[in-house]
Amino acid sequence: MVSLSDELIEKFDQKDEVVLGKLLKEVENQTELGFELLKHKAFQKGKAHIVGITGPPGSGKSTLVGKICKSLAQKGLKIGVVCIDPTSPFTKGALLGDRVRMQELAKYPNIFIKSLATRGNLGGLAGSTADVVQVLDAFDKDIILLETVGVGQAEFDVLDISDTVVLVNVPGLGDSLQTLKAGIMEIADLYVINQSDRPGADESVKDLRMMVNESKKEDWKPPILKTIATQQEGVEELIDQIHRHKSFLRNSGQWAKIRQNRHMKRLRGVTNSYITEIVENTMRNDPLIQKRIEEVKRGEIDPFTVSNEIIRHLFQKQLTL
Amino acid sequence: MQIKVVMAKLGLDIHWRGALVVSRMLRDEGMEVVYLGNQFPEQIVDAAIQEGADVIGLSTLGGNHLTLGPKVVEIMKAKGMDSLVIMGGVIPEDDFPLLKEAGIAEIFGPETRIEEMANFIRARVKTEIA
Amino acid sequence: MTNTKVEQDKKLFDQEVIQEIEEQKNRWKENTVKGKEGEEQYFSDSGIPINLLYTPDDVKDLDYLKDIGLSGEAPYVRGVYPNMYRGRLFTVRQIAGYGTPEDTNERFKFLLKNGATGTSVVLDLPTIRGYSSDDPEAEGHVGAAGVAIDSIEDIEALYDGIPIDEISSNIVTHLPSTTVVLMAMFAAMAEKKGIPLEKLSGTNQNDFLMETAIGSSLEVLPPKASFRLQCDAIEYASKNLPRWNPVSYNGYNLREAGTTAVQEVACAIANAIATSEELIRRGNKIDDFAKRLSFFWNLFNDFFEEIAKCRASRLVWHEVMKDRFDAQHPKSHLMRFHVQTAGITLTKVEPLNNIARSAIQGLAAVLGGAQSLHVDSYDEAYSAPTEESALISIRTQQIIQAETNVVNTVDPLAGSYFVENLTQEMAKRIREYIALIEDKGGLVNCVESGWLHREISDFAYSMQKDIESGKQKIVGLNYFPTENNSTKIPVFRYPEAAETIQKEKLQKLYAKRDSAKVEETLNILRQKCHEDENLLPYIKDCVLEYATLGEIEEVFREEFGLWQFPLA
Repeated sequence: MVSLSDELIEKFDQKDEVVLGKLLKEVENQTELGFELLKHKAFQKGKAHIVGITGPPGSGKSTLVGKICKSLAQKGLKIGVVCIDPTSPFTKGALLGDRVRMQELAKYPNIFIKSLATRGNLGGLAGSTADVVQVLDAFDKDIILLETVGVGQAEFDVLDISDTVVLVNVPGLGDSLQTLKAGIMEIADLYVINQSDRPGADESVKDLRMMVNESKKEDWKPPILKTIATQQEGVEELIDQIHRHKSFLRNSGQWAKIRQNRHMKRLRGVTNSYITEIVENTMRNDPLIQKRIEEVKRGEIDPFTVSNEIIRHLFQKQLTL
Repeated sequence: MQIKVVMAKLGLDIHWRGALVVSRMLRDEGMEVVYLGNQFPEQIVDAAIQEGADVIGLSTLGGNHLTLGPKVVEIMKAKGMDSLVIMGGVIPEDDFPLLKEAGIAEIFGPETRIEEMANFIRARVKTEIA
Repeated sequence: MTNTKVEQDKKLFDQEVIQEIEEQKNRWKENTVKGKEGEEQYFSDSGIPINLLYTPDDVKDLDYLKDIGLSGEAPYVRGVYPNMYRGRLFTVRQIAGYGTPEDTNERFKFLLKNGATGTSVVLDLPTIRGYSSDDPEAEGHVGAAGVAIDSIEDIEALYDGIPIDEISSNIVTHLPSTTVVLMAMFAAMAEKKGIPLEKLSGTNQNDFLMETAIGSSLEVLPPKASFRLQCDAIEYASKNLPRWNPVSYNGYNLREAGTTAVQEVACAIANAIATSEELIRRGNKIDDFAKRLSFFWNLFNDFFEEIAKCRASRLVWHEVMKDRFDAQHPKSHLMRFHVQTAGITLTKVEPLNNIARSAIQGLAAVLGGAQSLHVDSYDEAYSAPTEESALISIRTQQIIQAETNVVNTVDPLAGSYFVENLTQEMAKRIREYIALIEDKGGLVNCVESGWLHREISDFAYSMQKDIESGKQKIVGLNYFPTENNSTKIPVFRYPEAAETIQKEKLQKLYAKRDSAKVEETLNILRQKCHEDENLLPYIKDCVLEYATLGEIEEVFREEFGLWQFPLA
């Protein structure tokens, strides 16, 4: 078992990747040590630019992330990548396949890739994503790319973590654009039509433009870009736009605002899951409450009353701790 | 806690069937499997470090098991990493002792039941965590 | 009305006879069979429902001459040649390849001495993947699982003393990128020896699926580029090497990776269709090249299905050539194919059982009308074949040729209600799968999108599950499992010195060649990569200046770019 010693922090500060890997594992598994280091002062930086990449399956997100990283690495930037894949609800296992499309990155130092399984979390990210990002940020990564699951449904979690959200699509997804419209379609900062050598690319761009024009965002008009990730085409423009959005955030004062919101959401999220855990534990283990639960099961008492009891009981106990 | 496996095709070996089928079946056994595709030892170890892998799975049918297999363990140890390294594919039994001596925990032939492999992994990873 | 009467007249059985058979069969089903064991539905390996009993009503729609025909005539169900094995026995082609070219040359001579009638060489992974033996990526792979070829000098050493103008040379190049380089080296070597190119006969594998779907690798050319090289090799050979088969559409490795027999044949034919369309676009005529297109099948243990597959594949190919491409030359309609028995069906437990498996698969190939055969050796699950096990494989083929008498009459299973019915069913399913591929934008698109990879991976996964659940029976493994788990058999060892020797040879080569000329020819090739022109002549210029395989393929990688293998 690793413990959070000064020596470990020192090695972390000296950019020891083995230590980073070990600490990330603690965070990923939400161990006590993991929480401890998330509270440690060396892990509160918030400097990295966090770019969320989302979009439906088959849109080429991984390939695009791979090409962006390659270019940034050649420019000498320090990069973190977090790829998220779904956990099977039946077996709790997961096949994390995004690295295959980023094979050529193995040649470059300064790129650290972490694959996460959703482990039951909905919303397109793993529960520990924000924590993993925090640690990578503390490791002085300049930019952190987050690739969401991409199940084609609204993946809103990425908004809470990212500074810049990139939505990737492929031509000919007219129908799915309509479905997405009501959701995530409106909140991306950059739109990409990937595989734009396929028929229908220009129409997709047109559709997107209409949508963007309807959008309520005032001071940032989300650009729409065409890429062919497999051939590295359009990748530089995309990177430029990511940088431009970053400058916009800084100059408009939104950078700080985003961070404030993020801290609030994190506080809420962490608190909620903490409470849920306590409630679950109590319901499972407290003999008095177990008895009441049985009564609810038998329909002898209504769930509202018992719920109130549980919460009262639990707060008395917890608050005195 | 979920067991994390990094699975790689060793070097230039081209047969991906086994590695991918094993990856999918270990997923069915409740593990999280990061599939790397083809990589060389140095890159495999780097990936294992980044992913915090409990297990490194190496697949080869290309006759490179004696040259590249032990190298993975060697590089891993040099970097201060301690994942469980297992191998699979077409590997003559005569080479098992050499590979084990080099630090490969187990070698699984073409006819291994995946459940058996999963049980081996669970037993070994658990003891090592404890 | 009269028309249907005439059509009906041509059917194999009289309608009244069929009616009576159907009535009797229904009675038999109700009264005789009902309640007996075996009533449940059986399936072939490809998932085709198999009946308990086949009778004339199962072939009632067949018009013999139109749907089955005579050997050497349309629709070629019965075989591509009129006299089949009486005219020419199937070629005993035993793969060899390990170590240095000099090592493999020795094995060639051993096999030829013992009755092999052609050579067949496999290459080591660096050669297949386009790296020279001194490339860092080649480390640990040189001369393992195949022979190392770096330059034209290696090709010269490989075929030293082998009469390449008399016997056929099969070069298992797998990838188009490897094919174009080795074809150029082979042709250049022959010319240097004074052998006219017209005299060369042989086969390359040359299949872009091998690069982009079947075998994974670190650095893969994009499907379009790989497909272009595949077409370049075919076009060059059709113009310069008239007796050469520049492609062997590789159903074999697709099947090993994970497909059904139907998918195996359909993908290979879809690839041939795509090639033909591309070569026609370039201004070639179908009859210029179609007669040299050849195929490569994998025969598993489902005996009758595999035989039906061979027959059905000839039928579908004939239809494609006739109806779709309007090919006129009779040879363009012939599907000629090589068979290798199924490596993946061989077990590590009780390895000697594999001799029986391979013999049965080899017999199916001959009953299916294969032009050449490779019988896998029983030690496949352990290592590359030893000299002893390779000899057993040759002997197996010779036993089929000389002792069983199955070669004495053409297509002996024809007319079996079961085999004819199954042949038609396979053909139907092959056509449907080809149509599915074309619906998805053709084969190159199916690879680019990762669709084919998913098909393969899903099948391999379900097969493994069926084996683990015991649904698919394997003798010694899950059916009468063996008690003896550690069989000791002699295993083949790759010569260890190959890497050092090849590296030394390369050092000498670098020292003696004219590096300015090498640079010049490589630069011309570089430019031509971006033009709509056949690359073969330019590659030949490079190899004649002693450019290495690795250098030439580095040009491809730089100019065509790399593609990420889509697996998930």
